[in-house]
Amino acid sequence: MLVKVENGKVTGVQGNPAHPFTQGRLCAKTSHYQERVYHPERLLYPMRRSGPKGTGTFERISWDEALATIGERWRTIIDTDGPTAILPYSYLGTQGIVNGLTVGDPFFNKLGATISERTFCDSGASTAYVMTVGPTPGMDPESLVHSRFIILWACNVLSTNAHLWPFIDTARRNGAKLVVIDPVKTGTTAMADLHLRPRPGTDAALALAMIHVIIREGRVDRDYVDRHTIGFDELSAHVAAYTPEFAAAETGIDAEVIRNLARDYASAQPSAIRIGVAIERSAGGGQVVRAIACLPALVGAWRRPGGGLLQLPLWAFPVRWDRLHRADLTTPGTRVINQWKLGAALTGGLDREPPIRALFVYNSNPLVVAPDQLRLQQGLAREDLFTVVSEQFMTDTARYADLLLPATTQVEQDDLMFSWGHLYLSLNRQAVAAQGEAISNAELFRRLATVMGYDDPFFQRSDETILRESLDWDAPSMRGITMELLETQGYARLNLPAADVFAPHADGGFPTPSGKVEMKASMAAGGNFVLPTFRQGSNEHQDGSPVPALPTYRPPRESGVADAVPGARYPLAMMSPKSHSFLNSSYGNLRRQAVREGEQKLFINPADAGVRGIRSDDLVRVRNARGAFVAVAKVGDEAMPGVVVAPMGHWLARSRAQATPAALNPTVLGDLGGAPTFSDNAVEVELV
Amino acid sequence: MPHVVTDHCAACRYTECVAICPVDCFHAADDRLYIDPDVCIDCAACVPVCPVKAIVDAFDLEAGADELIALNRQRSRELPVIAEKTAPLPTAEARRQALKS
Repeated sequence: MLVKVENGKVTGVQGNPAHPFTQGRLCAKTSHYQERVYHPERLLYPMRRSGPKGTGTFERISWDEALATIGERWRTIIDTDGPTAILPYSYLGTQGIVNGLTVGDPFFNKLGATISERTFCDSGASTAYVMTVGPTPGMDPESLVHSRFIILWACNVLSTNAHLWPFIDTARRNGAKLVVIDPVKTGTTAMADLHLRPRPGTDAALALAMIHVIIREGRVDRDYVDRHTIGFDELSAHVAAYTPEFAAAETGIDAEVIRNLARDYASAQPSAIRIGVAIERSAGGGQVVRAIACLPALVGAWRRPGGGLLQLPLWAFPVRWDRLHRADLTTPGTRVINQWKLGAALTGGLDREPPIRALFVYNSNPLVVAPDQLRLQQGLAREDLFTVVSEQFMTDTARYADLLLPATTQVEQDDLMFSWGHLYLSLNRQAVAAQGEAISNAELFRRLATVMGYDDPFFQRSDETILRESLDWDAPSMRGITMELLETQGYARLNLPAADVFAPHADGGFPTPSGKVEMKASMAAGGNFVLPTFRQGSNEHQDGSPVPALPTYRPPRESGVADAVPGARYPLAMMSPKSHSFLNSSYGNLRRQAVREGEQKLFINPADAGVRGIRSDDLVRVRNARGAFVAVAKVGDEAMPGVVVAPMGHWLARSRAQATPAALNPTVLGDLGGAPTFSDNAVEVELV
Repeated sequence: MPHVVTDHCAACRYTECVAICPVDCFHAADDRLYIDPDVCIDCAACVPVCPVKAIVDAFDLEAGADELIALNRQRSRELPVIAEKTAPLPTAEARRQALKS
């Protein structure tokens, strides 16, 4: 992103036309980033609560007073209940190696606070992916131009990965076929040659039936399978029951369509699959990815540029996670709490001692993104809970803080970014002075370390030092990349072969225990786990529950189950995908984005709307036993019969009934990696 | 709200925008271009490349946004997609100078 500065103020932003991946384009979230920086509701000073919790009444205090209060309160809590009574809560509201995912980890690990298991996004898919093909970057997204057949699976590219689209579009112009698998009709599905709509949470049946057809019809690349996979014979026997007819009954997709999909995917080489994070959001969401990750090896798709699987290119970056997390500072045995369980954790629902006495929220707005909204509100309203929130804005969560700390935006700080979507490093240089008394997250944790008396110089490292020490600059992928290059160019492609010739697994070399694609996963023996990357570097107290070693279909827990029961109380399956203009809850308070999104919508199929007397633009209440919210109905085929779709990201304070779709989301985790099950959610809809 | 092509495009039709648009949402008439508001993804990449600043986010229009969106939508339905850059109209330079003054 290029930032235009005039007289010390950001006056505009634009994509960098020289960047080979983004090519001068931004997105609906960031295209007017200056409006975020200068938003009239920016938090600019530390503040102390001056009214009841949740009302958002605060008075300005100094940083010295804020920090002294935190130190005092935390020391009292530690003396009484021990440091695990303190819970950090964070994710990726701010991104970057310096200020993003891990910025508070060394501090909280040293403090001995309860460890946050942050399985917000892609942790379930990542566990499954790593079990199968290892932490490989997978196929180069730019190599998609060479694909002959592309499957976008649970991925609304035009809304959530728009920079990938031109590469897909080029492939299409070259004759590639595009299949989009998504229960929801979106802008991306409108571009597809074939749009398949499985019932929510049944995708694994589809993937396993594809494997069944590919094996039964002899469409396997035997040479590739023999040399670069393990467990083929077991998988072959295992999928006998996963016939296209079985998958048709589960997914609602015609068996012949499934057969043809498998045939085309196998024969049109190189074939590519891009999976989105939505794929993990049901009871069997991890096993879906296990099955899908077997497909490219079965048909030899990895042999050529443009073939394979694209999940998270993150794994290509030689990030020194040990330096970022500092798990070595953790007190052995420290408990771990999954962040989807925050509502229960704050209300005694986890039956753990000591109870949480202090909460420290940064880079996240749990009241919008976490499930169990009502219970979470009750927890946050606890008078005895000492809550500190570091934020750019008065979010729904911030309203419940005892202390509010002002945080900088991306143009007010330095950072170095790896990518979730391409193979370039980007240097983010501070463009303007920080607004008011806002500080970067890195500075926040330097100040907290001082308050807590940590004299290890590690805790006072400058942003520049953090930035330089957090990558392995000697790694082969960094050869030729220097800070000087990043300063002048702003970005640098990792030292990997050019996309036109890059086929990372043409000759195997998968970073799994066996070095091969593990169709039968050796890592299943240890039971279910979350990658330490998503839990402050800790590998203790893993779930460990049994995991099938072969990809196995697990039907949805709620969705689609109710409709088999006449008179079911919650007969509709709700999905709450990302909105086009919001990034989870971020940008939900910006007028441009809010106007584009309009009020909270609920897409409902005419078949389901008709019997409920619902017409477009009617106000409807969506409810289940966990909660309710009110939305504007949009009757149409965006939602398939039996499914309703509520795009997420709206804030509670601006919503009717002060509740959002997360109020209905289950807290039950999926089968792998602590993934949420938000697309496995039974609800009912009625006119208000 | 989507981006729209305004009357500034008339007699210009520079088409820098169509080359950078990732979703091919531009449609060409003889005298100017239109954006299909149902296809535009608001990436804003076309805004800075237009020599006559003919493309705006409808959100930024003080008045007439709905009408302009409706016009862009309707004309896009009737006209073919333009995805490749073409030469500006012969009147483009004169029009650009006129718009500058």
